[in-house]
Amino acid sequence: MGMGGYHFDRLKVMVVDDNPHMRKLVSKILEAFGVNHIFEASDVQRAWTMMRELNPDVILLDWMMEGMTGLDFVKMARTSSASTNPFVPIIMLTGYTQIEHVRAARDAGVNEFLAKPVSVKAVMSRLAAVIEHPRPYVRTKAYFGPCRRRRGHDEYRGPERRNEAANVPVDDAEAAHA
Amino acid sequence: MYLSTMPKRRTPEREEIMPDKRPIEIFMPPNVLKAKLGGGGAGLDMAAIKRAEQAVEDLKSEFTGWVNADVQKLGQCRDGFAKNPNADAQGDLYRAGHDLKGQALTFGYPLAARVASSLCRLLDGKQGASLLTLIDAHVDAIRVIVHKNIKDSTNAVAVTLAAELEGRVTEMLAAVN
Repeated sequence: MGMGGYHFDRLKVMVVDDNPHMRKLVSKILEAFGVNHIFEASDVQRAWTMMRELNPDVILLDWMMEGMTGLDFVKMARTSSASTNPFVPIIMLTGYTQIEHVRAARDAGVNEFLAKPVSVKAVMSRLAAVIEHPRPYVRTKAYFGPCRRRRGHDEYRGPERRNEAANVPVDDAEAAHA
Repeated sequence: MYLSTMPKRRTPEREEIMPDKRPIEIFMPPNVLKAKLGGGGAGLDMAAIKRAEQAVEDLKSEFTGWVNADVQKLGQCRDGFAKNPNADAQGDLYRAGHDLKGQALTFGYPLAARVASSLCRLLDGKQGASLLTLIDAHVDAIRVIVHKNIKDSTNAVAVTLAAELEGRVTEMLAAVN
């Protein structure tokens, strides 16, 4: 059975990006998938308010924004006592492609990483990843969020294989001893 | 708090590793998304992908204008840095370059993205007014690539220009380190 069975019309997605053109592009792609409930935020402060008011099911989040960054938002969503959903799936959308950035995003609690350029297939595959292959959650003294242990090759839903950051063996058991 | 609703007793979905040192609690929250959306399984929804690709195609006439707006913003940040080359202005310029890198790739200007990436590497590696000449060379190159509507990633002149700028950045950063 293909993904055609999904009721994307029931999905609430928040798109956070300070660039209006990128927000428009991502929203158009989501609309074409059948997502009816799309909320756009241009900065982290607005996104934080909208998250608590509108309770999105999935968040597509830019990293580099003026003021607070996407990483700051992820940490708030995961660990703030004011967070309405510490488990909300977050897909980080970014121009960064280096391995250290993928690590930093995962260390903050990002579920999936989508390196620009944005493409229709990449958006669909990351959405499918958070729906079909949710990661277990981990709580340690220093971290709360999706398990950072790399999944098997067959299940891998990280960055595209074309970039070097595709192989990121980050292990929570190791991290706990670091 | 939401966490308090998680099961407290040990279950197959919840385990603790090394409880005597730094415990790691691993648990699988209920898949509410799957329950809400239904359907799914292997493979992607090709019909939805086609619809979305068509939607993107329909937007493409706007892409050049969008990239031009980003280039204009980059120029403004360059002017701000030239007037007052402090860390804040350099940060603004870096953000504009970084935005352009991602946007230009998405909107069909891969070589403008490559030059923007080189600019970010420069701004990430060194600070100060001495960067201005090389910054200007990058900004001018991006303007030319977009103005001449160079979308082909193999355009010989633009590739040579990008490679030259990358080399200059490498030299400058090597001189710093």
